[in-house]
Amino acid sequence: MPLTKLAPVMVITAASLGLSGCATKQFVREQVAVVNARVDTLEQRVGANEAATREAQSAAQAAGTAAQNNGQRIDQLNARVDGLEQRMNKPKRARN
Amino acid sequence: MIALALVLAAAATAPAQDAAASRTAPARSPVAERVAAWIARSGDNHGHPYIIVDKPAARVFLFDAAGRQLRDGPVLIGRALGDEATPAIGRKSLAEIGPAEKTTPAGRFMARFGRAVGKPVLWVDYATSVALHTIPPANKEHRRARMASPTIADNRITFGCINVPDDFYQRGVRPLFRKDGGYVYVLPDEQPLERVFPLLALQGPPAPPELAPPELAGSPR
Repeated sequence: MPLTKLAPVMVITAASLGLSGCATKQFVREQVAVVNARVDTLEQRVGANEAATREAQSAAQAAGTAAQNNGQRIDQLNARVDGLEQRMNKPKRARN
Repeated sequence: MIALALVLAAAATAPAQDAAASRTAPARSPVAERVAAWIARSGDNHGHPYIIVDKPAARVFLFDAAGRQLRDGPVLIGRALGDEATPAIGRKSLAEIGPAEKTTPAGRFMARFGRAVGKPVLWVDYATSVALHTIPPANKEHRRARMASPTIADNRITFGCINVPDDFYQRGVRPLFRKDGGYVYVLPDEQPLERVFPLLALQGPPAPPELAPPELAGSPR
């Protein structure tokens, strides 16, 4: 193919490559901005979740302490009931 | 020369002493270790002495109120595998208890000395008639031989009570529990540990086991 016929093709190709290069940079900037925004949102959510987890942990600890105290009261009551039952009834046989 | 002989003699007896020590004080199982650590850390014993009965390992461990392990020994437990007690089993006579009912229930119990037919016992769960005591003198199951044997399976023989060695009971349990009682933690056969001891879950999962140094891993002993 003669060089004169190839020239327009080469010009168009070069122009399109140049244009696409500019468009790619812009595209990358936009995409990075989108990703940055999502990262910021996720960081905020992670922070909120951490705070909620800490609150839940301290609530669970408090509930555990309360359960322990209640358990101790139940133990004392059980012991009193067992003691009364032993006094009122004949001695019981253990399961050996 | 004399010093050298003494050093050699000491070196020769050291392994024997180590072996004897390991016989008298075997390590707690990982589960028993976890429960012991939880009780000590959380103060779940509320200033009372306590006992851990490791059913799967057929071992029993006695702790003072401060969480120091004082004694350990073999234990005889209920013949049947299981962690629950059948309803109203406490009102049945020994003859009425079926084979599958002969379980030692798992859980955390406030135990106190109390009256029983024969002699006073440490009641672990009065409602289901589970007590901790020495081996009954009249038994046809060769319980002393079972307790003395190194195997675990033959330690499952009782109707649900917990039989401990005489010395463990007379010199360990009796003086510690006589006044105000204490806690008995019976580890489960089948149920998850956190279901039997719900407060244990608050302490988080157990720490992963430490890895052996690479040069020791797999080396012949």
